[in-house]
Amino acid sequence: MSSYPPPPDVIEGRVAWVFGDDFDIDLVIGVENIKTYDADELRAVTMKAYDDTFVDRVRPGDVIVGGRNFGYGHPHYPPMVALRNLGIAAVLAESFSPGFWRGETYNGMPLLTVPGISTAVGVGDPVRVEWRTATVRIGPDGDRTLTGQPPSDRVQRIISAGGSFNLILAEHAQGAAS
Amino acid sequence: MPQTIAEKILARAAGREQVRAGESLPCRPDYMIAYDFPGYTDVMFRQMREDFGITTLAEPERYLVFIDHMLTRGDQREHDVHQVTRDWCDYYGIRLHEAEGIGHQVMAELGYAAPGRFLIHFDGHISGAGAFNALGWGVRRDLLEGWVNGELYLDIPATTRFELVGEFRPGVDSRDLVHEIIARLGADGCAHQVMEFGGPGARAMKIDHRQSLCGMAMFTGAVSAVFEPDDTILERASAAAGGAFAPVYPDPDAAYAAVHTIDLSELRPRVVLPGSARAANTRHADELDGTEITKAFIGSCASGRIEDIRAAASVLDGRKVAPGVVLNVVPTSKAVHDQAEAEGLLDILRDAGADIAESSCDFCFGYQKPLQPDDVSISTGVLNISGRMGSTRAGIYMGSAYTVAASAVAGRISPATEVGQR
Repeated sequence: MSSYPPPPDVIEGRVAWVFGDDFDIDLVIGVENIKTYDADELRAVTMKAYDDTFVDRVRPGDVIVGGRNFGYGHPHYPPMVALRNLGIAAVLAESFSPGFWRGETYNGMPLLTVPGISTAVGVGDPVRVEWRTATVRIGPDGDRTLTGQPPSDRVQRIISAGGSFNLILAEHAQGAAS
Repeated sequence: MPQTIAEKILARAAGREQVRAGESLPCRPDYMIAYDFPGYTDVMFRQMREDFGITTLAEPERYLVFIDHMLTRGDQREHDVHQVTRDWCDYYGIRLHEAEGIGHQVMAELGYAAPGRFLIHFDGHISGAGAFNALGWGVRRDLLEGWVNGELYLDIPATTRFELVGEFRPGVDSRDLVHEIIARLGADGCAHQVMEFGGPGARAMKIDHRQSLCGMAMFTGAVSAVFEPDDTILERASAAAGGAFAPVYPDPDAAYAAVHTIDLSELRPRVVLPGSARAANTRHADELDGTEITKAFIGSCASGRIEDIRAAASVLDGRKVAPGVVLNVVPTSKAVHDQAEAEGLLDILRDAGADIAESSCDFCFGYQKPLQPDDVSISTGVLNISGRMGSTRAGIYMGSAYTVAASAVAGRISPATEVGQR
């Protein structure tokens, strides 16, 4: 598994894509490809079913947006690895499916529940995301703001550590030293 | 403060008098369970030993590992995967149950899933433990946190209460109920919550059907599901050799996110279209009449228990599987297989032309006899996403054991209520 550094307190980028309700994350790379972690293989198939230019136009700091129950189905890890390799820094959705939420929170990805987000933004809109408070400023001047549910203290610590594994390893080392 | 079943079980696990939905607390499971699978157990064991430096476990009796996947090819890779697991379990003194059936069933037969217990697993179908008034929560890779620390942080979930009344009509069971719930409430109808089942319809429901219902909880968005204790549960718990247990009842005025009453006698057979179990894919079986099939499957951690095999036998008795259709039946555990054999059910299925396979998870994830590109299958498996049971071009419909058996006879999707039962 790849490891990613924790995000900055303010994630600045653009909306790379807006997905609908009950979106199955495996469709990002296609179910034929859900067993590979190879970066080149993933890049070659990422979002091809939706937008041929996606992998070339995404920049680090960009985010994806979802509707209700984002991640429904039987989520595998490679699709989010593929998106993170491109620089996708957060997922903003109306709500998340619990299995997807738990698996990707473990991996340190900011997943922010922001009611209204799926209709408030379109592809290409600039966004500034203060992930600790789930505050999303939309537009070039950030003059439209949506506020979602801030992650719990525990989840903020997981994201700050770059994932659960890093956090519990640090806590374990601390416990062993004290 | 009055509490739900889940709140009471998690309060005990968190060492509190009470908890409330929304709190984030470290909780201590009674059992922390895994099945061996490459990329999961081998990685977690290596992380425990190499990254965390853990050489002995304080309470190895709280860890359980099942070997129930990758059992049917008999090749070197299977042997190697399982040997790694055996070696680690031996190293840490962890109980290992190998090839006794699907772990989510075997844990019930062995009494691990007993009233009031709290169980975690990386796999979400652990929620089937709710049939026994235990709370089973699939925590994915957070299982490592439990294995390393003996406890893990969880957000205390709210609960939706389901008051069940009436009884299933012939040819209808809890697989139809779970898809009815999704059709009514949506695939996120119970998101991040626990489903709590009670009422006369719950008390009348057979334990196998409760396991099936609770085991599919994730498709409503729920993190788990649990039944109120009743005579059925207490008798089963007393008979199993699982040690002391303490049933947990909800307080009469507990706070629920929602309460729904469902009359089981009104339900009709449901079938789910290929793709996922979301509401838009859920149909009544008779709406799909005429959909031809090539494969039919009865088995998995959700279905394949004795009641499912009895259901299949009631439909297949004296009949034949349609030409061009292969019906595979996989009893959920060896104990279920032996009971079905003793009751003469497997002979009925064999006479009808069904293939009976050893108990394992291997059909359900496309490892054993995978579907071919042109196949159209109807299945009691837990998942019908593209590629789940083989080729990504094959279609997988899902239904109850009644519906799968009736469809196998008809050669097309058909509810048992139309085919008839003996």
